[in-house]
Amino acid sequence: MRARIVIGGLLVSAGILAVGVESTVTQLSATTSLVQPLAGAAPSSGGTGTEGTSGTAGAAPSSSPSSSDTSGSSPAATTGLTDGTYTGTAVSTRYGTVQVQVTISGGTFGDVTALHLTDDDGRSVQISARAAPVLAQEAVAAQSASIDTVSGATYTSDGYLQSLQSALDQAR
Amino acid sequence: MARPKLCHRWTIGSGVLIGVVHLSGETRRLGRPLPNGHTMTATLHHTPPAPPSPPTRSTSRRDLTAVRPLAAKARRRRAAVDLLGIAVWASAAMAVTLWLTSGSVDVSGPGQVLISAGIVTGLVGTDLILVMLVLAARLPVIDRLVGHDAAMAHHGKLGKPALYLLLTHAGLLIGGYAVEAGDSVVAETVGLWNTPDVLLAFFGLGGLVAVVWTSIVAVRRVLPYEGWHAIHLLSYAAVAVAIPHQLSQGQMLAQGSWERAYWIALYVVALGSVAVFRFALPAFRSLRHGVVVTGVERIADDVVSVHLHGRDLDRLGAVGGQFFVWRFWAPGLWWHAHPISLSAAPTATGMRLTVRALGRGSASLASLRPGTRVSFAGPYGIFTEAVRTSTRVAVAASGIGVTPVRAFLERLDAPPGAVTILLRARSERETFLWHEIVAWAHARGHQVAVSVGPRGRGPASWLAEGDTSRGVTAASVFPDLAHSDLYVCGPGRWSDLVEQDAAAAGLPADQLHRERFDW
Repeated sequence: MRARIVIGGLLVSAGILAVGVESTVTQLSATTSLVQPLAGAAPSSGGTGTEGTSGTAGAAPSSSPSSSDTSGSSPAATTGLTDGTYTGTAVSTRYGTVQVQVTISGGTFGDVTALHLTDDDGRSVQISARAAPVLAQEAVAAQSASIDTVSGATYTSDGYLQSLQSALDQAR
Repeated sequence: MARPKLCHRWTIGSGVLIGVVHLSGETRRLGRPLPNGHTMTATLHHTPPAPPSPPTRSTSRRDLTAVRPLAAKARRRRAAVDLLGIAVWASAAMAVTLWLTSGSVDVSGPGQVLISAGIVTGLVGTDLILVMLVLAARLPVIDRLVGHDAAMAHHGKLGKPALYLLLTHAGLLIGGYAVEAGDSVVAETVGLWNTPDVLLAFFGLGGLVAVVWTSIVAVRRVLPYEGWHAIHLLSYAAVAVAIPHQLSQGQMLAQGSWERAYWIALYVVALGSVAVFRFALPAFRSLRHGVVVTGVERIADDVVSVHLHGRDLDRLGAVGGQFFVWRFWAPGLWWHAHPISLSAAPTATGMRLTVRALGRGSASLASLRPGTRVSFAGPYGIFTEAVRTSTRVAVAASGIGVTPVRAFLERLDAPPGAVTILLRARSERETFLWHEIVAWAHARGHQVAVSVGPRGRGPASWLAEGDTSRGVTAASVFPDLAHSDLYVCGPGRWSDLVEQDAAAAGLPADQLHRERFDW
């Protein structure tokens, strides 16, 4: 009776874990394939910028976007984005405010600058320092704010992507 | 609790039969002779012992082993129990899978490995805590399948592993964060301490440490039951305050994910079943049935029977052999809950308990006044026909352990001669309710044997000295034990001895049913 429980339990557990492992492997390979083109896609502009790490609290620039300097006809056919520098809204999360800035050039953006990241405590700073470069890379690769959040940095990611979306909305 | 009986002399069958003869004026003998044909001293009644007679079997062995429906029922029950056990394993695996599927798997460096291990231990540890809550919630389905005492034994066994997993969880995460951030463990601890949700979780962990520590046998023994119980209730708070940090910090429980929904559902099931089956249902039933004490009857120096009256008691579905957790609303008693078996099968309006002054509270039950209101939780326990697998039934009861046996037998459905009862007492003053059992057995043609006196030696040391010295064992007391169900009720160590002796006589473990008094 006990043996049946243990054997049955082990088998069922192995099955459930197999599903979990399978899902992890799928997700990991999906992530790598998504990240790979980045190496070529985001060559310049400092790449993995950790400039937002410490959180430039007072340095948030004009909340009004400098969208007026539209430099002529952009290839709006592909992205619909107008050239210029756009600052997203400041999104407050439970671990601090998140705000990003994006510069559109030729209808695309090569980097996302974090003006402020979650920094309520040491752990938050650490998490956002890890998440911001990943989010920037993926956003550049996708040319969109509709990307996956970074695991372990859900709040930072949500704030980041929301701010980025508002910046991109201004560029449309 | 009660110590194993240290006793002196054994009389088998005929000793009791005399009582039967005396009661009914009939001469039919149900007992079997001692192996050496000894005549024994009557202990129960004042009639001289009748000479031993050859065993009478009113039912043929073939009838007694033709037991298809009972065996099929027992198989179904065992399968259901196994499924429950497998479900526990599955829930632990599911906890790990939550982490695997959430996309937060990252084992890219030593810090991340520590953090991952910390997450997994936290998930599995919490899952075990929730399983413990379900086991302690007195869910009817669990009580019917494994019984309250076995459920609580499993609950107790999970306590330490769960606590160790959660302590490891905290340690690994602090260490992992420290490695990741390149600062000290102390700095990380302070940092986490300053995160409100995690601070609560620290308190929760401290609460669990207190609960488990006070439940270690050595500590529990010196604590009064109420003190231990009060600390134990803390575990509900400890479980609750750990929730916020899981939902806010748990990477695998992101908002809107199915993982989060599953995790919350686990909590709802565990805490919900505690709320419903431990608190709401007993309160509702107590109000609904309006049970009051109608009388207290002293049947020995330290033993009283309490008679209760209530409305529609048959709706409770209680059967003899089960117990309730009683609370008597009298001064000095109301704060103490007593788990006490019924000592007679319940009727629509009445129940009877028989109590020996074992605990501090039980002593004052003798002073209960008629009219005292009674609240209760139950019925609980599977010292009933629910676990029976065969037609033949063997019963061993010692001391006050006779009470559930007395109630269980009352409605037992067995062909004449199928039941063999052994009653054990340290002295003649402990033969509580024996005359009722003897009368029942006689009326149905079943056998009763008694063993009175200090404890004997050898493999059958659960019997009295006079009997073990003659080589009496479970195998000689109970006919065809390997094809019987053995119901044992008595002090824990005594029951252990019966169990060992019965196993030696060929009783399969599944056919042994014990009722514990000392949990």
